Amino acid sequence: MDPTQFDREKLDEIIKNYQDKKWGLIPLLQDVQEVFGFIPPESIEPIADALQMYPSQVQGVITFYSGFSLKPKGRCVLKVCRGTACHVKGSRSILRMIKKDLKLEEGETSPDYQFTLETVACLGACFLAPTMMVNRDYFGKLNPTKVTSVLGEYRKESKEA
Amino acid sequence: MKNIAFSINGKNISTLPGTSILEAAIKNGFRIPTLCSHADLAPYGACRICLVEDENTGRLMASCVTPVAPDMKINTDSPRVTANRKNIVRLMIAEHPESCIVCNKGNRCELRMIAAQLGVAETRLYRMPNYKPFETMNPFITRDLSKCILCGKCIRADHELVGVGAIDYSDRGFASRPVTLHEKPLEQSRCTFCGTCVSMCPTGALSTQNTIFTGTPEMEKTTICGFCGAGCSLSMGVSGNRVVEVNPSPDTGTVNGATLCVRGHFAHDFLLSPDRLIHPMIRRTDEQGMEALQPAGFDDALSSAAGHLADIKRRYGPESIGFIGSAKCTNEENYLFQKIARVIFGTNNITSLGSTGSQALLRKAAERTMGDCRVSPLSDLENAEAIVTVLTDPDHTVPVAGYHIKRAVKKGAQLVVIDPHRSDLAAFGGFWLHPENSGSSKAFAFNAVNAITAHLIADDAMDHDFVKSRIEDPLGWMDAMADTDPEALAGKAQVSPQKIKTAALLLQNKKIAFVIAADLLETRHGKETLDAAINLALITGSIGTKNAGIFIPSIENNTAGALDMGCAPDLLPGGRSIADPQDRQAVEDMWGAKIPETEGKDIHGLIEAAEVGTLKALYIMGENPLRALPDPERVRTALKNLDFIVVQDIIKNQTAELAHVVLPAGAFAEKQGSFTNMEGRIQSFTAVVPPPGEALPDWTILAMLARKTGYPEQYTTIEKIRQEIRRVVPMYGALGSHRQVWIKPADSRNSGKIPLAPIDDLKVDDTDEKYPLSAHIMNRRWHLGSGTRTSRSARISASGNIGEVEMAPGDAKAMGLTDGNGNKPMIRIFSPFGGIERSVAVNRAVPEGSVFIPQGFSGNDAMHLVDFNALKPPGSGWRIVPVRIEKI
Repeated sequence: MDPTQFDREKLDEIIKNYQDKKWGLIPLLQDVQEVFGFIPPESIEPIADALQMYPSQVQGVITFYSGFSLKPKGRCVLKVCRGTACHVKGSRSILRMIKKDLKLEEGETSPDYQFTLETVACLGACFLAPTMMVNRDYFGKLNPTKVTSVLGEYRKESKEA
Repeated sequence: MKNIAFSINGKNISTLPGTSILEAAIKNGFRIPTLCSHADLAPYGACRICLVEDENTGRLMASCVTPVAPDMKINTDSPRVTANRKNIVRLMIAEHPESCIVCNKGNRCELRMIAAQLGVAETRLYRMPNYKPFETMNPFITRDLSKCILCGKCIRADHELVGVGAIDYSDRGFASRPVTLHEKPLEQSRCTFCGTCVSMCPTGALSTQNTIFTGTPEMEKTTICGFCGAGCSLSMGVSGNRVVEVNPSPDTGTVNGATLCVRGHFAHDFLLSPDRLIHPMIRRTDEQGMEALQPAGFDDALSSAAGHLADIKRRYGPESIGFIGSAKCTNEENYLFQKIARVIFGTNNITSLGSTGSQALLRKAAERTMGDCRVSPLSDLENAEAIVTVLTDPDHTVPVAGYHIKRAVKKGAQLVVIDPHRSDLAAFGGFWLHPENSGSSKAFAFNAVNAITAHLIADDAMDHDFVKSRIEDPLGWMDAMADTDPEALAGKAQVSPQKIKTAALLLQNKKIAFVIAADLLETRHGKETLDAAINLALITGSIGTKNAGIFIPSIENNTAGALDMGCAPDLLPGGRSIADPQDRQAVEDMWGAKIPETEGKDIHGLIEAAEVGTLKALYIMGENPLRALPDPERVRTALKNLDFIVVQDIIKNQTAELAHVVLPAGAFAEKQGSFTNMEGRIQSFTAVVPPPGEALPDWTILAMLARKTGYPEQYTTIEKIRQEIRRVVPMYGALGSHRQVWIKPADSRNSGKIPLAPIDDLKVDDTDEKYPLSAHIMNRRWHLGSGTRTSRSARISASGNIGEVEMAPGDAKAMGLTDGNGNKPMIRIFSPFGGIERSVAVNRAVPEGSVFIPQGFSGNDAMHLVDFNALKPPGSGWRIVPVRIEKI
């Protein structure tokens, strides 16, 4: 889906399940993020209306959790672990290599919305250090060759898509 | 519930469960410093300054959010508590910019005060200023978030007290700050600039945009706001005899509590307008033979006024003089004014411009309920179980009443909004009834209310006890109503029967608080709609009980007072009727003077009489008929036809330019007096600053005028006038005894049963094909009424609100008025009577087929669209006019 185009109908379909349920804000936001890949800023007001909240409150919740993003993300979201164990095992070099390969800084998304590069404090898989996640898949015991092949794999997928 | 016993600093205390340690400490005289706590806001626990220690457990806890527990041994300033408090303050200061010397908050900064009390000076911490954007684009509020300590008071005031929701926290940790939606500047957000957050902010993060003064004013004095009917208590900061700042008064038990609105908070800079009248003027012919107003002494001006008026009375009789008083002036002034008209000049030709709007509605509602709607505290509205609003958007007219409704909804009140326009209230969680087909139904509100009534009767959901004991002959009316089909009425209102049914279910077996548009009688079918609403109030027993009744958010501050003081052609003080010989006799006895027997002329009658030449002179106090009345050209011609005009006002306005004698008066903040607000609360106040130049309070001018005419009574003090009012107007028996007292209307239960108004089918006007749109001339929060004062506010003028005509998206599109770029094209609007030019903006809240024309903007030119005869009783409703629109 083109993240620059806001699909109101799709949003309304998600909102329908939570109409007037103020408690449903977070699951609703999760659904929106799932479908759109991020939370389009245009969706804040309709969501607030449906849940009878102030739009500023909805925005407050979105910006509080790092799991929610108001900016479009790439098709592949890379989360490079910068925890202690991974650091000791050389995650700084891994990150530097990925940055160079994707031409992205931390927190950036490629202009074609294929890749987003993020770092996290710990993925909880220290025995696999150094680790990273791409979308929902873990990649452990990384080394330069493995990183190149993983990135290559995802890049190939994106060309096919 | 059993009380909880514990101790604070060794003192044994017993208090109710659920009380916070902070509340208990304050009640027992212990002082705990706080930054984020406010009596009107829910406890929050953001700042942690209010730490106390429980000596039993050694725990430190924030006293504002910790409820008392049995056997606690609280110490409010143990060495540990103090050390921790100091550290918190040090950390806050390490993050705070060192700009105290230029900070607007000056010596009132709570952070600085607490730091001083704790002895925190240099923090000796690594400074980590948290630079954030500085916002000054709007003329009202300056935001310097680098001074923000994240106490959340602004956000909580916005959400809990005002109910707008313009701001909330964004982000986390060091980056967190209060922001608007999409981090837009305030003027592009939902912010209404009520300024409540500015008054609450403990530091200089939020301050009033002030170009004439910064820092701490020399002194603060309390007064009552002179704009709308809410009658908010203000605390005015004064420096060098100028009002430089306005905040809500810190007193408890006020109408407004900690809130205000954009006018109350920011528009008082009109007091400093260069248009203020500062010396008396007399129209004289100069050497070149040109007539012009020339400065004169007060003595000469008053002699000229008294002499000319006496002369006209002698030559043409008392009926040739008219008096226009003002619902913006005090009770004392209106009392004196009507007495001068009636006793000295012998005429009942006394009225005010508010008499066709709010005042007429108040009179009508009071007549129908036998005075039972006269005392209607807004705190009752806030605690109501059900609220019905009829064609009103208090967010723009009387914002403080709007806040009360929103707070009631948050407390669980059922709100039914009857309005074709999707007002903020309709969007706020109210059940919104509106005509569903495109094109608004012309008798929508009338039929919608009746449909609800019919439904409640059909469901037998009315207050039988009340109907039996208080209503006159209910059976015939009930039978007629029982024959009425709620569905047919719903159809006439163009509302689906299902929605009427839902509304009726929400209101079933509840006592209802009705909030009725103050300008209802200025719209077509207003009287019938009011009758319908009062019928519904009666059959549900909502009259004369607590937390229910009729609430009229009047546009002007002293609508009720001017009426009670007898500033009306057919009423004497205390609501006594001129036509009733007994009533007249009673006042004559008290005054020791004759009162003319015939009723005087109302505003329409006065202008007509001026046109035909039977009226020769007008004395106008605090009104600007050339701006406020329909068809200003006709009014101008009529006034020019007069031999003599006295204008007593605070501002050089269009009407003053026509006057023969101009008397400069003091505005409300510049004099002593009392106002009666929409609740029936009489609020006395004293001068905050002296009037500018040679200007004098209105009552002083009137007293001097009375003396000039040879009237024996000397009104040298306000107390002298109050003594007389207390005697002549029994409702005002308590006037002046305290700063705030309530009017005491006679008990309606003694004056017999209340009749229900018959419900007849309304004949609606056909749409004129040449004028297909219906224009509603309505209030917008930036201007009060016709805007004579608010248009002189530098801040309001700078706000860029130019009063665009608001149109529904569909209509705007059909006329090619939207280009999708948000441009606001110019249009010409024509009614059968006149035309004006405005730019146009699209507003989704406007129903298709309607346009909103804000009142008070561009010299209040909207009045050019209205036929003056619309004011002729019973009034055809000047606020809604058929129009057509042309693109320029």
